[in-house]
Amino acid sequence: MKTSTRVMPHLFTRNSCALLIAGLLALASAGAQADPGTVKLQINGMVCAFCAQGIEKRLTKMPEIGPLYINLAQKVVAIEPKAGLRIDVEKVRTEITDAGYDVVKIETVPKTVAAIRAEMKARK
Amino acid sequence: MNGATDRARPRCMPAAARLAHGLAPALGLLATLSAASAWALPMASQGSVMVMAERSPDERELAANFALTARDALGGAVGRWHEPMGHGSAMRAHEREYAALTYTRLLRRWNLPHAQANLWFVGMLGEVRAHALPGTRTLWSPALLADYETTRIYFGAGIEPMRARGLRHDTVYARAGFSFYQAEYDEMQPWFILQAKRTRWGMDAKSELTPMLRVIHRRFFFELGGNDNGAQVNLMLSY
Repeated sequence: MKTSTRVMPHLFTRNSCALLIAGLLALASAGAQADPGTVKLQINGMVCAFCAQGIEKRLTKMPEIGPLYINLAQKVVAIEPKAGLRIDVEKVRTEITDAGYDVVKIETVPKTVAAIRAEMKARK
Repeated sequence: MNGATDRARPRCMPAAARLAHGLAPALGLLATLSAASAWALPMASQGSVMVMAERSPDERELAANFALTARDALGGAVGRWHEPMGHGSAMRAHEREYAALTYTRLLRRWNLPHAQANLWFVGMLGEVRAHALPGTRTLWSPALLADYETTRIYFGAGIEPMRARGLRHDTVYARAGFSFYQAEYDEMQPWFILQAKRTRWGMDAKSELTPMLRVIHRRFFFELGGNDNGAQVNLMLSY
């Protein structure tokens, strides 16, 4: 009992640390892959397809922008960066403002554009 | 004309009869196209080209503009209209043809939580040829347009005086309508629009009421309407 008591804590400490570090690394890696860096914007004045297609035209010209989703009823534009790239939210805000609309809210969401589209369509 | 230009012949009929008489040909052939244009937006987004076409027994116009900025567009228009002269058995139609440069300016926009409102200036400067008058004359037109819309309702109004020496063609209109259902951005959205318009040429004037079906899908805008003067179709595309 004494021997096992002396040995066990030592083994527990080394192995547990190794397992804990490995586990944390795995979690971090998994987390990074799951967050696509999608930006969701709420826009005032975007009430018609003609309005929205002007916004779409400006945003799709930006090289870092990948999938894009527009929802007129919710006044939402969701944009996902291309793989390995990051969206500059202030640049996006400027593009939309220059197009003649007001950005009232910007948030980064851990979802893909496809997931946001599916979620909003399910809400209808 | 870039902006809103509606044309019709003066008639006196009960409103219901006018509506029935007008819709029947409108739902029939599209062979005869008539102009009834009060565009949802008279210009597209910056860097885009907008092309508009109208045709009717009394008027024809082809116009295009390019949006230099988010608020300014330059373009041109060519067109023709028939102007009734005289009354009864002595009534004739004098033809006017014009070509002009156009300038569209978004004067003010209000971006509201669930709506957008705009005030526009559409200017035209060119030449008109009147078959009953010699040579050409300088044609000018300063038009003011306003609109308010949500994803489901639309209101629009405009004042469009068109003048040349010895000629006058003034239009005042108001439009109201609703969408049949809420549509997604990538879906086609149909609207019902009712337009009231008054047109004046010289000392003559006429009023008309025109119901229209409007369909919008992204860059494509189409309107089909009719009254006792005939079918009316407008088409607009942006690139």
